[in-house]
Order: sequence, then C-alpha cells, then structure tokens
Amino acid sequence: MTFLKRFSYLASGIVAIVACSVAGVQASDDELIVYSGRSDKFVRPVVEAFTEKTGVKVVLHTAESTALLNKLRLEGGRTPADLFLSNDAGNLQLGSDAKLFRAVSKDIASAIPSQYRAADNTWIGLSARARVLVINTNNVEKGELQSVFDLADPKWLGRLGITNATNESFIAGVTVYLEATDRGQTKAWLEGLKANINGGVFSKHSHIVNAVARGKKDAGLVNHYYIYRHLAENPNAPIAIVLPDQGENDFGIAWNVAGIAVTKHSKKLELAEQLIAFLVSEEGQKMFAEANREYPTREGVPAADMVPPAGSYKVAGVPMSALGAKRNTTIDLLEEVGMP
Amino acid sequence: MVVLVAAIPLLFVVYSSFELSQAQWIGLWSSRLPGLLWNTLSLAILVAIGCFVLGVSTAWLITRRDFVGKRLAVWLLVLPLTIPTYVFAHIYTVMLDDEGWLGSVWLAVFGSSVPMPDLYNVFGVALILSLAGFSYVFLLVRAALMRSNVVFEEAARIHGATPLQVFARISLPLLRPAIAAGLAVVMLHVLSDFGAVSMLRYQTFTLSIYLQMSGRFDFQAAAGLSLVLVSLSLTFLVLERFFRSRQRYYSSGQSRAVRPKHATRGEQLLIWGWLGLVALFAFGLPVAWMLVWTWHAWIEQHITREFWGYVFNSGFVSFSAATIAVVLAFPIGLYHARRPTLSSNTFLHLSNVGFVLPGPVVALGVITFVLATMPVLYGGFIALVMAVVVRFLPLAVQSQEASMQQLTPSVEQAGRILGAGPLENLWRVTLPMIRGGLISAWVLVFIDVLKELPATLLLRPIGFDTLPVRIWIEASEEMLELAAPAALMLVVGTFPAIWVMMRGEMAKRQVE
Repeated sequence: MTFLKRFSYLASGIVAIVACSVAGVQASDDELIVYSGRSDKFVRPVVEAFTEKTGVKVVLHTAESTALLNKLRLEGGRTPADLFLSNDAGNLQLGSDAKLFRAVSKDIASAIPSQYRAADNTWIGLSARARVLVINTNNVEKGELQSVFDLADPKWLGRLGITNATNESFIAGVTVYLEATDRGQTKAWLEGLKANINGGVFSKHSHIVNAVARGKKDAGLVNHYYIYRHLAENPNAPIAIVLPDQGENDFGIAWNVAGIAVTKHSKKLELAEQLIAFLVSEEGQKMFAEANREYPTREGVPAADMVPPAGSYKVAGVPMSALGAKRNTTIDLLEEVGMP
Repeated sequence: MVVLVAAIPLLFVVYSSFELSQAQWIGLWSSRLPGLLWNTLSLAILVAIGCFVLGVSTAWLITRRDFVGKRLAVWLLVLPLTIPTYVFAHIYTVMLDDEGWLGSVWLAVFGSSVPMPDLYNVFGVALILSLAGFSYVFLLVRAALMRSNVVFEEAARIHGATPLQVFARISLPLLRPAIAAGLAVVMLHVLSDFGAVSMLRYQTFTLSIYLQMSGRFDFQAAAGLSLVLVSLSLTFLVLERFFRSRQRYYSSGQSRAVRPKHATRGEQLLIWGWLGLVALFAFGLPVAWMLVWTWHAWIEQHITREFWGYVFNSGFVSFSAATIAVVLAFPIGLYHARRPTLSSNTFLHLSNVGFVLPGPVVALGVITFVLATMPVLYGGFIALVMAVVVRFLPLAVQSQEASMQQLTPSVEQAGRILGAGPLENLWRVTLPMIRGGLISAWVLVFIDVLKELPATLLLRPIGFDTLPVRIWIEASEEMLELAAPAALMLVVGTFPAIWVMMRGEMAKRQVE
C-alpha cells in the first residue's frame, strides 16, 4: 500500500508540474531565437560578444539544418524562430525557395560580395570552406595530384579516403563539379572513385585526415579546416594541403558557405538585422570564421594564420544558389552510380 | 483516447503516403525495397539470436546458481541499457582503430597479418545492437525465472530427464512469454534504431527514411517507406502474439520459490568467466572510455554550470514521460490480458506504432497534430512529453502485460467474491500483484526517454537541451570526446531508477 500511495503522490505532483508548464517557454521581447544548424562551440562565442555589445539576448536552438528547415516549414506563422543559421548554402537556398525567409535590407547585405548571398538577399553567407585534397607527404610527391578528377585514376586504388555519399559537404562538392564540367565526366569520375575506394569510405572528415597522417591512406578529399585542426594538435604530422584544379583551364576549388537568414514570420526584424549587421561587420566576421578556421566572406578580412589566403587561388565560379537547386540532381547521380 | 494519441504519427504517415503516385510506389518498390528488406530482416534475425544467447544464458546463471558477487553481476548486466546505441557504435569504432584500446591489443596478439574485425557490416551492427539490447531479454527472463515454479522441473527430474532435457523441454517453453516479450522489445529497438545504423552506415528502413527526409525533403517517399516498415513490424508482432497466445501460463497456488543451487568453486570461475566477458564488452569497456574522456574534460574545465542544467532537463522529461506512459499503458495492457478480443488486439498493436516508426517521423507527426489541433501547446514541454510517450508507450504495455498474464484471474475473482468493487479490487489486488511489472515498465520507459534523441531534437522547447541533444551537438562537429561527460551522466542518472527496480524486487522476495 505504501508503494501505491507514494506512486499516486508522485503522479499528482507530476501532473501539477506539467500543468504549470503548459504555456511553454515564452520568449521575452528583447530576445532573439536562432535555429542553428552549426556547432554551438563555434557560434556561442560570437553571439555572446553580440549580447555584450547590444544587450540583446540570443537563444541558440541547435539541431540538424535540414530538420530545422522542415520544422520551420511545418510551423509556418507560429514559428518562434527569428533567424536560421546553416552550414550549407544548399539548405539556405532550399529555405529561400520554400519562401521561409525574408530579404535582409540592402545596406547590410552589401557588406558581403554578391556571389556569397542569395540573389534576393534572403540569406547571407558568413563564412566559407574550401573542398581540398590532403596528402601524406612521405608517400605522395608534390605535384602528383593536380585535380580532384585525378582521384579516379586506378593508381590510387586503396589509397584514398573520402566520406560517404550522404555527407553534406561531399554532396555540395559533387554539385560544383557537376556544374563546372558535365554529367558524363562527373559520372565517369564517380565510377572511378568508387572502384578506387573499394567499399571503404569514412563517416567523418577528421578520420580521413587522421588516416592520411598515419599513412593508412595516401590522399583524401576534405574541407580545408580539418587539415588545420589536425595540424594544430599534431604540428609534426606528415600531411599537406593540395589546392586542386588551379591550371589555366581548370575550374578551381569548390567552395561552400555557412550563412544566416531572417525567418519570414519573425516579429523582431529590427533586432534580427542588428545581429546580422554584427555578423557581417569586420569584428563579427573575424570571430565567426576564425572559430573554425574558415574564410570570412567579407572582403578584406583575413582568414586564420595557417590557411592559404582567399584570393591566392582560383575558386569555382558556380553560384552558391546552385547548391540548393541542383542538390537532388546530384543525389540522383550518386545513387545511380551507387556511391557507398 | 490513449490509442488515438498513439496513432497520430501513423495517421500522418498514411496521409502523406497517399500523395505518392502509383508510378512512384512502383519505383520505390523495385529500386529500394528488396535491398532494404533484406538488410533490415537479416539484421533483426542476427540481433535476436545474439540477444537470446546473451540474455537467456546470463539470466539462467543468475537465478539458478548462487555465487560470490551475484548482485554486482545483476547490475553489470542491466547497466548496458543506459548506453545509447550511437555512443556504443562510436566507442567501438574508435577502440577498434589501430591506436584504439582493442585495436592495439589485437595487433599485439595477432600481428598485422590478421585483419581486424570490421564493424561496418551486418555482423558489426548486429554485435553493437545485441550488446546494447540483450539486457531487455535478461531482465524479463530473469523476472520470469524468479517467479517460475520449480515444481515442474523437479517433477521432470524425478521422472529421469537430464538437466539439459529439463531446460529444453520444461524451462524454455515455460519461459516463452518472457523470452518473446524480451525479444519483441529488442526487435522494436532494432527496427527503429537510428544511432548505430547511421554511425555504421548500414542501410535499414529507418536510415533510408531519414535520408529521404533530410537529404531530399521527400516526405512522400519517406512516408511510403515508413508505411512498409510499420506493416513489417506489425506483421512481426502479430506473429509473436500468435505463437504466444496459444499457451497461457498461470502460476498456481502451490508454487515454491526457486532456491538457487550453490555453485562449486570451478563453476564459480566458469560463471564469472562468461558473465565477466559479457559485462566487460557490454559495459566495462565503454564506461572506462567515458571515464577517461570525462577526466580529460574535467581537467580542461569543459564541464560548466550549464551542463548540470542539461542533466536536470533530461531527468525531468524522462521522469514525467515514464510516469505518464505507465498510467496510460495500464488500461491497454489490462484490457488485452483479460479479454483478448479483436478490438483489444487492435488497440495493443496500434499502441505499438510509435515505437516502430523512426523518431523523426513521430516528431513530425506530433508537430503537425499539435499545430492543427492545440497550437497553444506547441513549443512547450507538453508536446515533447507527448512525442516521447507515444514513442515508448509500447515498452510500458509490453512489460505490464507480461506480468498481468502471469497473474491468475482467480485471484482477482476471489477479490470480487469477497465483496470488493471493481475499483477497490484493482487498487488492492491487481495493482499490488503486478507491482513488479509496473516498476520495470516505469524504469524501461525512463531509460529509453533518457536516451531519446531524434524526437527530442525536433520538439524540445527553445533553449531546452537534454544530455543526448548535447552528445549530438558535440558529436556533429566530429568531437565526440567532448560528449563523454554527457554519456557518462546518462549512465549515472539511470542508477537511481535501476536501484528502485531492484529494491522493489528485494522487498517482494522478502515478503514471500
């Protein structure tokens, strides 16, 4: 009996507590809510600096970019979110296409070059990542690898590290190659790549860099910052960055941007724009990009020390909006080839 | 009403898949389904075998032999439940690396000529899921063995059956409801598992559904696949019921409690050898890994005040959801155990839907429902609790029902004859008798909610992070080492719940 009594007390206690929290968490007026698809670790220091400056509190609601986009779509006018932050231009553009965002005013948007924001300013790119090659300097000669398309050469059989084909960055990279070359060439390349990796793909970019550093693999296709993250912890690792496709007729390196958008139904437009204005200012740009050794999108703000400076190499001329518009085409191609 | 709420995600799925044209269905059918079916089924069968071997053998040893450190052994065999499959999968891939703990041992023993076992295939995934899930079978079989009547076994022994024959022909068939219930829980976990399969890139229905939704925003195809998955799971559950329903076991009045035999020294060594091996891989190694990395985090002061907030949030959600689920599950379980009719069967199976649907699908279903019918609740704590209750209600139903089936109706009838009204009878006879089932139902739901990730990620109130959410956030930037403190906290947080469950059992045995 005592057990049952205790149990019923507990149950009624719970009901009481739940009843109290029915109303949910209501945001106060001077608080911005950001749906964030980017790691807290990189975003938090920047928004804290913003709060310190302006007194505006920022609540980060972190989850996967795509899941948050779905949520925004389902919530419609009831969304509590004021801003949406994502690591992938593809996701941002999909949100713009679904009319989930509102254009940012021109004088704020114009701080960022037009190729790194939506044509209608419904999203603004904040930092960029480069799709590069990493090599083991003991096993690969400098100049042996010139292009990402070289990776399909049979001589790399068993020596390559790439991520699985569901990786956001991998898909975005292939979209750029598909746009810069043509379908036939990209398909042949994927088939060569598939033969070379022989079923062995990696789930994480950091594991690829690790495997290359230890000589288990000789070369890998990664985002540039993973190389520098590894070098920061192991300064003597025998790895080097290779900037591919830099010849006169080559298409250049694939870039992808992380960016931010104001949701269509936000009621705090002014505050939201204030945050974006901070993020595109020189100070905000430096903090936002440097946290992850990425490239600031604003011109004239340098990247982290070790990273090859933007402008010192050629970047593929594929507009960022294509990463969203062509994503399904890329996924179809990857599935057709059967990339693991 | 309860069942209706549980069926919300299903309605969402059926509705969305209506939008799928016939051509799309045919495309789906020919291109993806055969592979997915084979992958999912072969995984389910391997995990069932793994959990059966691990769960039944350990439960048998624990209940039928007395040996040193038995209580410790029980704890070690239950605690793997507290480790989420995604953490399991990650830890094992790291440990099997060249420089990992297991990898370096392997290299030292076999040299580099023998290739290291690879987890990225059906056997690897099955191993991870068996280690993460066998405790369900262990718990339910152990409970049944402790309640079970030794009279039958003794009778068989007297008639000259060998111990092996007794086990195979008396004990095992008697244990069938418990084993079936345990394996059913494991199967539901396998079918809806997202953590391990995504980490090890093994394409099951759940992973494929998730990729359709997140990669392509293709709700219809995802819903179509979900529908197939649900039909698959329901078929499986109906089959399980069918095999179970042909027998009904009630413990009779003249039962005697089991007296475990004293193990000889040699036996003790063997027993601990086996239990130790299981516990080492299912709990010891992962926890040691967490401890090491938590220590690193502690030294580098990554554990801040916010961390304790996440701990509180996790505990709060799990506590509320477990309590509500147990209360809601009670009528469903009772109704079915006492009057197994067509409608009670339907209720039961419908209540299972939440569990077999992938978490993100459940979450989207609940979002749609709440926004359409009671938008006030949206974004609040209630919507979250509702989603996790829907997801884990079947766990509560399963374990309550298993204990109700063993409760002889004549006891209740006696209560009624002696003049107790239906409510009084329920309160004073039925509930106390199935107390063990209620407690374990509560604990099982508590543990699963504590580990729940996909639905929480989508539905939590703004700024309300739980421990799994934090693990996910740290891991998504490929820094899982930072997630170790949160993973360890999940294990520690479950201690009180499991302690309550164990203490309930102890008290019960003393009464008897």
